[in-house]
Amino acid sequence: MKKAENTRGLVHGLAAICLVGLMALPVMAAPGIPQGFDANGEKIFKRYDKTPLAATTGTDGKRNLNSYYELRQYPGSPPMIPHDVDPSFSSKGLKCLSCHEKGGYDSSKNAYAPVTPHPENELCFQCHVPKHAKKLFRENNWLSIAPPKLGISELAGSPPPIPHSLQLREDCIACHTGPAAVAEIRVEHASRGNCRQCHVPFISTAPAKEFKRKN
Amino acid sequence: MKLNRRSFIKSAAVSSAVATAGSIFPGISFADWKRVKGAYGITWKKAPCRFCGTGCGVLVGVTNNRAVAVKGDPNCSVNKGLCCVKGYHSVQALYGRDRLKKAQIRKNGKMVEVPIAEALDVIAAKLKETVKKHGKDSVAMYGSGQWTIPDGYVASKLFKGCLGTNNVEANARLCMASAVTGFMTSFGIDEPMGCYEDIEHADVFITWGNNMAEMHPVLFSRMLASRKRKKDVTIIDLATRTTRTSQAADRSILFKPNTDLAVANAICYEIIRNGWMDKDFVKKHTTFHKGKTNIGYGTEDHFKFKDKPENMSFAEYKNFLEDYTPEKAERISGVSARDIKYMASLYGDPTKKVTSFWCMGMNQHVRGTWINNLVYNIHLLTGKISTPGNSPFSLTGQPSACGTVREVGTLTHKLPYGVVMKEKARKKAEKIWDLPAGSIDPKPTYHTVEMFRALDRGDIRFMWIQVTNPMITMPNLNRYRNGALKDDRFIVVSDVYPTPTTDVADVILPASMWIEQEGMYGNSERRTQHFDEIVPGPGDTMSDTWQIIEVARRLGFKKQFPWSQKNYIGKIWEEYRRFHDNPKHNMAPYEVLKARSGVQWPFVNGKETRWRFNSKYDPACKKGSDFDFYGKKDGKAWIWARPYEPAAESPDQEYNFWLNTGRVIEHWHSGSMTRRIPILHNAVPESYVELNPEDAANLGVVNGELVKIISRRGSITMKASINGRGVPPKGMVFVPFFDEDYKINEVTLDAFCPISKQPDYKKCAVRLEKA
Ligand code: SF4
Repeated sequence: MKKAENTRGLVHGLAAICLVGLMALPVMAAPGIPQGFDANGEKIFKRYDKTPLAATTGTDGKRNLNSYYELRQYPGSPPMIPHDVDPSFSSKGLKCLSCHEKGGYDSSKNAYAPVTPHPENELCFQCHVPKHAKKLFRENNWLSIAPPKLGISELAGSPPPIPHSLQLREDCIACHTGPAAVAEIRVEHASRGNCRQCHVPFISTAPAKEFKRKN
Repeated sequence: MKLNRRSFIKSAAVSSAVATAGSIFPGISFADWKRVKGAYGITWKKAPCRFCGTGCGVLVGVTNNRAVAVKGDPNCSVNKGLCCVKGYHSVQALYGRDRLKKAQIRKNGKMVEVPIAEALDVIAAKLKETVKKHGKDSVAMYGSGQWTIPDGYVASKLFKGCLGTNNVEANARLCMASAVTGFMTSFGIDEPMGCYEDIEHADVFITWGNNMAEMHPVLFSRMLASRKRKKDVTIIDLATRTTRTSQAADRSILFKPNTDLAVANAICYEIIRNGWMDKDFVKKHTTFHKGKTNIGYGTEDHFKFKDKPENMSFAEYKNFLEDYTPEKAERISGVSARDIKYMASLYGDPTKKVTSFWCMGMNQHVRGTWINNLVYNIHLLTGKISTPGNSPFSLTGQPSACGTVREVGTLTHKLPYGVVMKEKARKKAEKIWDLPAGSIDPKPTYHTVEMFRALDRGDIRFMWIQVTNPMITMPNLNRYRNGALKDDRFIVVSDVYPTPTTDVADVILPASMWIEQEGMYGNSERRTQHFDEIVPGPGDTMSDTWQIIEVARRLGFKKQFPWSQKNYIGKIWEEYRRFHDNPKHNMAPYEVLKARSGVQWPFVNGKETRWRFNSKYDPACKKGSDFDFYGKKDGKAWIWARPYEPAAESPDQEYNFWLNTGRVIEHWHSGSMTRRIPILHNAVPESYVELNPEDAANLGVVNGELVKIISRRGSITMKASINGRGVPPKGMVFVPFFDEDYKINEVTLDAFCPISKQPDYKKCAVRLEKA
């Protein structure tokens, strides 16, 4: 059922994009004379109102670093699941991947699904669990370290290094591009592809080592 | 769309972020957690995970003496860098606000904090006094498969060696005893022949009553990854209830409780009937045996049982199997003859490598030893054993059930080498322990259930409990709690948090937890895993090992416990290693353990042994042999004729449901650690009872409504879970046991396997009421 909704959501989104294309065409054909636009204005505005923001802008704008870290216990911890999930995690564990493997728009949540950087691991509930309690069993004095700072380039304008461990997160594209990417870490030049040509690991959770020649 | 203030601020922040998309905000981040002040940079240190018997390697991130992060250890071959949700958040269990930091003593009925030295004085004095008044067998040590190896070793040395009582048991009796007796009766030597690498080699997996997807998730993931890579891998879940494992498996086959005995025999019947038996292997490497039948359930005090093995011929064995044709087994088990034949064909197919996995389903079983034997039979008849991918694999539940309880031998009949009944074993221990000959008593005393019965009866007056929570985990709990609370019983509890067990204590010792001390664990695949003291413990916390050493010295055993607090773990390890000084069991030296992320034994000539009993891999095998089951004198493994017998208490007119109990992935055992980890508690905040949807409809309850579960021993009222993560068949309910607010073990029965003395937590009769 959910899956069907998803597809509908996607179709919805595509329709909206086509619509944008159609809108542009007459304008180009006859500059200054908006043919058909006035006559269909109401319909178009209604349609625009009904089209979710996400489908028109290519991002739902929902994920930022704040919400990203709210789901985590320390930098690099597996995030908890922020939405309802069938307790059986049924159908061969692949249900999560139907949204999170490639991403896409889910109208039931009015959101784009973030893409997992490790789709080869199918047993999602092994590391990711939902939240059902409002109160802790007992208080905890947990402390961790500050999340990595962004944009810590060595030189002005030089490409910033990768501030996090790559373990289970070596797929840059999954988290740093696309409509579900966290706003602050979304890159605009993903088309360059070979990320690690310019960005090298400088992991904030590892001690900094200086090069020393042996003898 | 309604905007509340919070979401408004959020969306405002986001739109501004989107507006300036591409720009970044150096230094801005909004983590939910509090920060260690002035910390930048983490040091990573290796340790085995604190929780399950899988034994994943973790790297603990430390900053300013605090554990602040975890990642999977890529150098550990068990998990190759991947953990489960418990492992990833394990370090948070160190920092629960109600951590026990001071010793406490009961004075006039109230627990008061005292300096730890005073508590240790009291323990030593009370031990001495009790032995004097009631004899050496009136004092007992009850430990755990979560003890480190040194913990268990010094406990055994003090109690069995110095005090001369065999009253040493561990909660692994409740989880692994049937696995041990299964190995001993079939092979004459304990612990799996294979290793986790079997997972990448096998073509077929059959899980016997084993919800691996939740209980050994990292191994299950390895299985799924192998299936994905190789395409033609088949996973069959043979179980009594539908679980996440069933959902991921290619086939889910359900059997009625306790009837796995019939199913296993029927598989053997089919293998022989179809000529799938490996005749050469069977002739060269096996012998046939039978034992007593109708062996009882041990529900009465002072229950005694001794098996009497007899030889039998292959023809007699074949004859025995006539009672287990697939059709007859179908009538007993509810598994269709077709499914039985299908499984037999998988085991029997000479082109397929088959691995069987099991854990509590087969071990917590009134015929636990038998069902272990029977699954070995299948692998022995087909010769699918001790080669990569062909593996009958008994998994453990606790991180050091193997390392501490099975290898160190912290069970009443065991010593680090051999059993107390054998003079040679006693002599060896007395020599290494520097004790006069005759110090060790040749008679075993009480196994765990009987030990708690003895406490109730008054035969035991003093009990020291470490790293376990029996006031949640003992079956038929009401009796044993009342016993512990009786006058003139003295209970010492070493733990890290207040629990229902510290509630019955007269002295509480604050224990170091996991990486607050140096130690070793031993996992399911014969892997010993060392960890350093990585962070300091809070307050007066002290390692369990050192607590025992302190008390031993107060009792006058300085000579046996001479080590300094600086290097005692290394010294203890090297002393302990002398017990295993032979190629069948050699342990790696301390320095090797320290350097690597786990080392498998037998460790011979600097090499780990991956597959035992196979001369290609195992240097302990006789020269020139192909397989050598050297645990038995003649080098041959035993195939056992073991019949089907029913459970101790099956549903009847009055109590018409099976009660099954177990775990969930998020919680570890009695929950005293995992419930203090926010994300795990949030995921499963309380226990519940799983019902079959039809039963729920008949009872008139919907999800979340209260159901009262009543047995002959107790009752409990909890929320119903219908079509939740697991679905029991009609006529069964399932309850996770982690929740101290719903002590399901007040309802369970203390029946056990007469051979292993391990209780069956999976089967007793209850009735239900809508509450
Ligand atoms: S599978 Fe077991 S050992 Fe591995 S991380 Fe999870 S609890 Fe720890």
